[in-house]
Amino acid sequence: MTKYLEYQLKEIKDTYLSYLGPPFNEKDFSPPRPNTTALSLPSAATRLELWRGLENRARLAQNQRAYSVLLAAVRELARSTLCPYLQTSLLHFCTGLDGLLGSISGLMTTLGYALPPPSAVSVGGSDGELQEPRRDVEGFWILRELQSWLWRSAKDFNRLKKRLRG
Amino acid sequence: IFYSVISEAEQPAVIINALIFRLCPFLVGRIQYERMGSDVTMQCGSLDNDASVSWKVNGTDIKARHRLEGPRLLLTQVDLGHNGLYSCFQNPHGERRDTINLRIGTAPREPTVTCRSNTYPKGFYCSWHQQHSTYIPTEFEVDVHHNQRALEVQRDPVHKNRCHVRFPEVFSSFPYRVNVTAINDLGRASAAISFEESNIVKPDPPERVVATPIPNNVRRLEVTWNSPSTWPDVDNFPLKYFLRYRPLIRDQWQHVELSDSTSHTITDAYAGKEYIIQVAAKDTEIGTWSDWSVAVHATPWIEEPKQITSTTEQHGHTQTETLPNTQLLKYTHEQIHAQCFLLR
Repeated sequence: MTKYLEYQLKEIKDTYLSYLGPPFNEKDFSPPRPNTTALSLPSAATRLELWRGLENRARLAQNQRAYSVLLAAVRELARSTLCPYLQTSLLHFCTGLDGLLGSISGLMTTLGYALPPPSAVSVGGSDGELQEPRRDVEGFWILRELQSWLWRSAKDFNRLKKRLRG
Repeated sequence: IFYSVISEAEQPAVIINALIFRLCPFLVGRIQYERMGSDVTMQCGSLDNDASVSWKVNGTDIKARHRLEGPRLLLTQVDLGHNGLYSCFQNPHGERRDTINLRIGTAPREPTVTCRSNTYPKGFYCSWHQQHSTYIPTEFEVDVHHNQRALEVQRDPVHKNRCHVRFPEVFSSFPYRVNVTAINDLGRASAAISFEESNIVKPDPPERVVATPIPNNVRRLEVTWNSPSTWPDVDNFPLKYFLRYRPLIRDQWQHVELSDSTSHTITDAYAGKEYIIQVAAKDTEIGTWSDWSVAVHATPWIEEPKQITSTTEQHGHTQTETLPNTQLLKYTHEQIHAQCFLLR
């Protein structure tokens, strides 16, 4: 499922960057990541030895939390997008992402792991709206981080599979 | 971090010159680098402007067009032919006053830089080269940044134009930026590339590819291989493989993609035909396919040909007679079909 979502996301990301226009759609463009407390995207990046040492419950919990936050962020991104086609694509993508989140939560429950309490996910300003001019940059980073998580999750689930078999 | 690049031909001379220069700088001379095509002035030591000197290059008279102005030797539009050890001798007694090693070259141009990770997730390496030679020693500075942090760069012990960097983290969303600056006495030039961790991953080819015929199976070959030894953690970062094979007499390859398996049985080989087989590898999620492995050759198992004997009945006796100088080979229906297909 992560591979399917990754493939879908690539197409949406290209459309979204074209929608944002230059410099976002330029090759190798990477804006500074916003250091806002209102938008705390969980980073997929981790030190290798930490990642290897994650025990099953923590590994799944990190994935579950990440997709909870990212799902809310993508929904907000869809809501604030003016292009109807892009909005439809993003909302459709959210359906898939919701499915993935459901699968992770289901697996945690099956394995007897308590689900983390739902965090108060707040994206953007206090009224929940993404503020200009940060919106474009935050949108860029939401999709970038989502891409990294989908890639990481494939490796996480592979490791989980091997550990659970063993 | 600096890398000094000197051609192999120059290395002994450069090393010897450096040693002698420390002991007797007067003998070897200081090095003077000048730009190709430019006009060059060489000054004989610290002699006054009214001093009268004569010059030699490599112990002989200077044949190239030149001009003398007191203690100075002027050369115009220099090229590589002007390279040499120039010595000046003060008139009238001819004492040697200076020795200059003139080296003609060019300023560096932007190097071409590429980076690759064949040891993911351990690290990556970057290589660079100059499209055009500068003809003079050129050094390189390399710096690597990730998420506003400078990363430690290790020099390759074998390859002069290569360096290694460890990944500080995995699954990063931040790009890496590698900047390489070529520097010599005539100038400097930089080139920078930017990439994401996932885009530079390319394993080395699979190793120890072995193809074996299977007894009593005329159309099968068993192929096994190992993951590349440079790939450090195949359990957590598994590879998938692409196998291609064809009979030697055909140009068209057949392909099979395999996940997490290091063996495959080819079941549709043409009986009796020699095959060429290769395997490539890729991380299951990111990066690009490796180059093809070394090719291996194999032929499916062939049944040994049997001698056919004829039998005749005569007056109640059965006589068995072996046909002289004739051997009839027994082919299976499949083998005959395969031969006809190939001929077609």
